[in-house]
Amino acid sequence: MKTLPLVLSLIVGLAALVPASRAAETSSLTVTFSGIKATTGAILFTVVNSEAAYGDKAPASAQGMLPVSTNSASKVLSGLAPGRYAIKAFHDVNGDGKMNANPFGIPSEPFAFSNNAVGNMGPAKWDDASFDVKAGDNTHAITID
Amino acid sequence: MNRRQLLQSFSGVAATTILTPELAQAAAQLSQGAASGINWQIAFADLDADLARAPMKRIHGRAPEGLAGSLYRNGPGKFHRPGGSVDHWFDGDGLMRAFRVSDGAATLEARFIDTPKRRVETAANAVVQPGFGTAGKPGAQVRNADDTNAGNISVMSMGGELWALWEAGSPIAMDPKDLSTKGIKTLREDLVHMPYLAHPRRDPGGDVWSLGLSGSQAIVWRVSAEGALKGADMVKLPMASYVHDFTATKRHLILILQPWVQDRMVMPYSDSFTWRPEMGTKVLVLDKADLTKRRIYELPAFFAFHYGSAWEETDGTLRFDGCLTGDSRFATANGKAFMKGTYVPEPASILTLVTLRPDGRVTLEPTGVTAEFPRVDGRRSGDTRRYTIHATATAPNTPLFHGVATYDWKSGKSDTYDFGATHLMEEAVFVARPGGSDELDGWLMAPSVNIKAKATELHVFDARRVAAGPICTWRSEHLLPVSLHGVFVKA
Repeated sequence: MKTLPLVLSLIVGLAALVPASRAAETSSLTVTFSGIKATTGAILFTVVNSEAAYGDKAPASAQGMLPVSTNSASKVLSGLAPGRYAIKAFHDVNGDGKMNANPFGIPSEPFAFSNNAVGNMGPAKWDDASFDVKAGDNTHAITID
Repeated sequence: MNRRQLLQSFSGVAATTILTPELAQAAAQLSQGAASGINWQIAFADLDADLARAPMKRIHGRAPEGLAGSLYRNGPGKFHRPGGSVDHWFDGDGLMRAFRVSDGAATLEARFIDTPKRRVETAANAVVQPGFGTAGKPGAQVRNADDTNAGNISVMSMGGELWALWEAGSPIAMDPKDLSTKGIKTLREDLVHMPYLAHPRRDPGGDVWSLGLSGSQAIVWRVSAEGALKGADMVKLPMASYVHDFTATKRHLILILQPWVQDRMVMPYSDSFTWRPEMGTKVLVLDKADLTKRRIYELPAFFAFHYGSAWEETDGTLRFDGCLTGDSRFATANGKAFMKGTYVPEPASILTLVTLRPDGRVTLEPTGVTAEFPRVDGRRSGDTRRYTIHATATAPNTPLFHGVATYDWKSGKSDTYDFGATHLMEEAVFVARPGGSDELDGWLMAPSVNIKAKATELHVFDARRVAAGPICTWRSEHLLPVSLHGVFVKA
């Protein structure tokens, strides 16, 4: 199973939230991760606004690292342009900054996509994971673990 | 009803519009079935819902004194859904059965193993997950092997739990009292979703050995009798063979690497394998105490699903038996044909003794006896032994077996009972008589599907007098699809 190289795309540039810089954006997006079982480490996630960015062929819109201490964690992303978005996330349970795998290359830490979409032996498809961010306040909930 | 009557029953309709390939095939099967009188397809029909514990009716003989406990058996139990079905027998939902014997009476219950595969497919009302012989469909949800884990091959008793075993994913823990599913067994956090074969081998000391395969890599699992991990070491295999079973002596693990080899990774999983007889069969012998110590023996090409336990002689000669066929065709042909209600006659597997000598010479000695589902008296496992217990007796137009036997390696004689073609006989497990110690001092317990009665039966034999027939038979009001492998847990 070859999910690992594709999921490794979640590891890119684990910094704090990257703010948008143009004045036309008027959306905020509150992302909530729930169902967390191991209350350690952090949820590392990437927010993209195109199928190209989802496939790592264009830059992400935002990235985040959410420390985990309870069974849910939430982050508000502001300054996004309205549009179609998707979120890729994994739970770095042991806090080593990378997605770990079992000896046969299968991810051993939990991962999830927006819309709780699940792929078939690979990441969820953009069509299944993408959702609309409208002008104003938006919320999106993802179950992980 | 013969073929002409079937066609005439569609009177008024043009022949060309009714002779679809499916209907022609069904008509052919009907006439073939009518000729042989054997509607064996009922043994591969879905169980539609869990079966609550219900008494079985004793229809022959009496239960022997000292027989008390539960026979747990696993096997695929559901194959069809309105939106789409599995293409292969091995991909049906795991169904755990318990035959419980106490005070001469028996009950039967059966409960589907609660897996992510079953949940996704129940919600989709279709089989969508990829499997051994089934392609993934739109809507498949697969993050790792346990998302496709059908949990449907065997069962083991470990530390007060049952472990339902598949082979390409984790064991699944279940409660023996009510057959409820607890969840996948993760033996160590970094080893989550690793494969664990369905035929572990117990040491005399109690440790349980198994393997997990991925191409030419294998993990060697060593687990205590209580289910705690004692070792998880990686070994490199000389061939990327499909491995369903392996064997062991007290000191060695013996991996039989047949020339059905993986040369790509696709779904259905069996499409990843190619039969390459020119590669021959390699047997890899590993030292349990130091897995880096190995020896490879070269054998002629053969295919086998199942082996008996192995033993080592004083000069270092290793011996074990297996149920050998000439090639891998069952895995791809009849495994799929059963789901269409058809059977393609093929040569039966033959009980064969494999000898590996210290100087590297190897011999295969076929007994000529038709055999599958080999079992042994568990107290002799890994030790020299005299007997193999096995299913036997095939019929030309129906699949599987209708008899049970023990084979005596010392005399070359079989002690056989044949129910005739109206029963599909399942694997027989040995149950030792309390207080006894001689090999085979005890009973064989095996279910059958009684095709005429359309019911599941449970039979008990004196293991040393099989030809005399069952000493006790109970019949259920219900019919369960044939199961694969099981274990008896004494009360």
